[in-house]
Amino acid sequence: MVKFERQTLGNGLRVIAHRDTSTPMAAVNVLYDVGARDEDPDKTGFAHLFEHLMFEGSVNIPDFDTQLQNAGGENNAFTTNDITNYYNTLPAQNLETAFWLESDRMLGLAFSEEKLAVQKNVVVEEYRQSYLNQPYGDVWLLLRPLAYTRHPYMWPTIGKDISQIRDASVDDVRHFFKKFYHPANAILTVSGNVYPDHVFRLAEKWFGDIPAGEPFVRTFEQEPVQKAQRRLSVERHVPFDQIFMAFHTCGRAVNEFYATDLLSDVLSNGSSSRLVQRLVKEKRMFSEVNAYITGNIDKGLFVVTGKLHEETTMEAAERAFFTELELLKNEPLDERELQKIKNKAEASHIYSESNVMAKAINLAYYELLGDAELLNRQTDLYFSQTAGMLKETASRLFSPERATVLNYHALKTI
Amino acid sequence: MINRQTPPATSLIAPLPFSLSGKHRLSNNVPVYLIMGGTEDIVRIELLFSAGSYFQHKPLVTYSAASLLKSGTSSKTSREISEILDFYGAFFQIDAQKDIVSVSIFVLQKYLEPVLELFQEIIREPVFQQKELDIFLRNQKHQHIINSRKVAHLARLYFGEQLFGQHHPYGYRLRKSDFEKINRDDLLAFHNQWLQPRKLSIIVSGKLPANLPQLLENHFGATKWKRGENSQPEPTFAVLDNGRQKLLIQKDEALQSAIRIGKRTINRNHADFHRLAITNALLGGFFGSRLMKKIRQEKGFTYGINSALVSLVHDGYFFVNTQVGVDVCQEAIDQIYQELKKLRTLPASPDELQTLKNYMAGNFLRSFDGPFAQAERFREMLVFGLATSNFDQFLLELKNCTPETIMQTAAQYLHEDSMTEVVAGKY
Repeated sequence: MVKFERQTLGNGLRVIAHRDTSTPMAAVNVLYDVGARDEDPDKTGFAHLFEHLMFEGSVNIPDFDTQLQNAGGENNAFTTNDITNYYNTLPAQNLETAFWLESDRMLGLAFSEEKLAVQKNVVVEEYRQSYLNQPYGDVWLLLRPLAYTRHPYMWPTIGKDISQIRDASVDDVRHFFKKFYHPANAILTVSGNVYPDHVFRLAEKWFGDIPAGEPFVRTFEQEPVQKAQRRLSVERHVPFDQIFMAFHTCGRAVNEFYATDLLSDVLSNGSSSRLVQRLVKEKRMFSEVNAYITGNIDKGLFVVTGKLHEETTMEAAERAFFTELELLKNEPLDERELQKIKNKAEASHIYSESNVMAKAINLAYYELLGDAELLNRQTDLYFSQTAGMLKETASRLFSPERATVLNYHALKTI
Repeated sequence: MINRQTPPATSLIAPLPFSLSGKHRLSNNVPVYLIMGGTEDIVRIELLFSAGSYFQHKPLVTYSAASLLKSGTSSKTSREISEILDFYGAFFQIDAQKDIVSVSIFVLQKYLEPVLELFQEIIREPVFQQKELDIFLRNQKHQHIINSRKVAHLARLYFGEQLFGQHHPYGYRLRKSDFEKINRDDLLAFHNQWLQPRKLSIIVSGKLPANLPQLLENHFGATKWKRGENSQPEPTFAVLDNGRQKLLIQKDEALQSAIRIGKRTINRNHADFHRLAITNALLGGFFGSRLMKKIRQEKGFTYGINSALVSLVHDGYFFVNTQVGVDVCQEAIDQIYQELKKLRTLPASPDELQTLKNYMAGNFLRSFDGPFAQAERFREMLVFGLATSNFDQFLLELKNCTPETIMQTAAQYLHEDSMTEVVAGKY
């Protein structure tokens, strides 16, 4: 149970505070309601590039990191298709330093042409390191545009193409900041050895005078229901074949999300899970398998994937996956298996609450979904799912004509 | 208007000295260390065996034995074990390193007893079925083959071999053929010899129930665990130190090259270790380090660069690690050597040193945040036979560190002309 208090400032900034006296630390998290889905299709990768620039100097502070380090703090950030999230941990007595820093970069950025050029290079190297110079690294560059025809989830957060990152200009950066980086589009959460009243006073002091920005309305198209199976087959210099099957799921804020998540657990969470037991250990068709959901705010993907042993064909791999999916559609889970995956979900949730940083990030994320209190309802929401609901969800999800299949073939080389 | 130019006042209170919540021995002399705390009802039990791959007689034996502990006992199949662990939402983790094997379990307090019952059986009575081993080795071999296509992985493997020689367990570079050379007898022998009470310490952390000491005695004490006083002599190995080496693992298709530059050096047991750790941090130990500022934030050559010290029980080493575009690889290497040289020739400015000290003090506090983090810090002390007063010595060294200390330490331990260099990729 994470107890918290909430306030909204005059400029629209939502502030949440959680007191945890078991730690000498505090975590300060700022979530901006902007992700790769909000990018212009010709300027993809921009939300993430922008995240890098948030560390390159603000109106009054040339170096964010050094100032935080001076206060004994550490920070990082991440960008997803939905959000951009910045987090700091520091000794609780130095809490105000994080407010000073985070508020200044919400007020305005002050970076140079040169710094933009350097960070474009850094992101290009990140692109190479994570996507291009790794076996199987380009999978999501292939799978996204196959699974999404309209929705901006069709590109990954790193961007469609390196050239779009290279083309980013200072004007683009200014425009992006103005549109998305303002108080009403952000959520500030603080957890740790802090008093909520003190947090609210500091929030008013440092963020209170930041002008409210123009609200923006999302206008991109939602993904239409898929009518026919989509397939892509590629050859790459990798040692083993891999298969990916993706199905569209519901959005994050819908109750069916929990049944969907549990279905992925049935298939591959833990060594007793179905795909591991049947396809890796009994039939020995794969060296590894995985089933997971992307968990996006808009309609996400349910992905089933496996690396094939040499004697397994792509056709056999696909059949084996469909057989397992059919089983989920046709036979309800027995009590024990259902209880097992619920227990696992509960344990994961409790483990994640043992850390002030995770609590701050989660509070902000659930507030964005509609209510921070959702954090405390997660276990109940998982426990309220029934075998019938899982079966129904599986039936809705796993029809062959709504599958997106990527066959990633190993190029045979000596 | 508030003054946004001046930072708010900060202070760094000294962290409280670390202390164990309790310490005792089981009837068979196995030491137990208790670290209580946390807000959630979670218990972590770690069994730490001071026997890692240094002790194995063939490659992969230690890792395979640790990984397959939970793949069947005399009374339960691999599947039955997974079903029970998963049913209680218990996380089972193994960590097989050069010097130690650690097997731990995270479990909600309400499920501690049934999980502990199974845990002791897994630890004491694994059968290591050949069928389970075959599946494991084949899948691990796949992973090895995939990893061998990654420049970062190649640089790491070859770097170890360059430092310690291919006949030393710290330097041995795993081969594809190693996956065909072991069988269940190797695992049983390793387990019988080394995963035994005389090599065991137990660290428990989290919200600990009052009857935990009794539970541990019942499950891991003398009555349960009878065999195991097989006192085989511990193996010893000589390092074949060829001095400074330079190696390129050519990968024509690479877009980035992985660079490792480093050398053997002192470990935690040496009196200068804290000073070297502080010196390393300034060079490449955090986001504000000199390497990060130069190679990433100024040059834009890489997504990340760091340097680190690795302590091994019988040795230790230092390395710089990065992946850079192939077109700037040579320039990045030159810059790394220049930074190493600057470390012993250019004193840190007062601001630079102060930032480093503040960051390290804050990070120290962070590394003790919560019972599980504390258990990890405590484990380092245990492995190296150090008292927890070592933590206080670090803080004292940090406080007293001067620009001269850093330059002297760099000159003594990190001279740029003493480094071994491994690049995987091309330039």
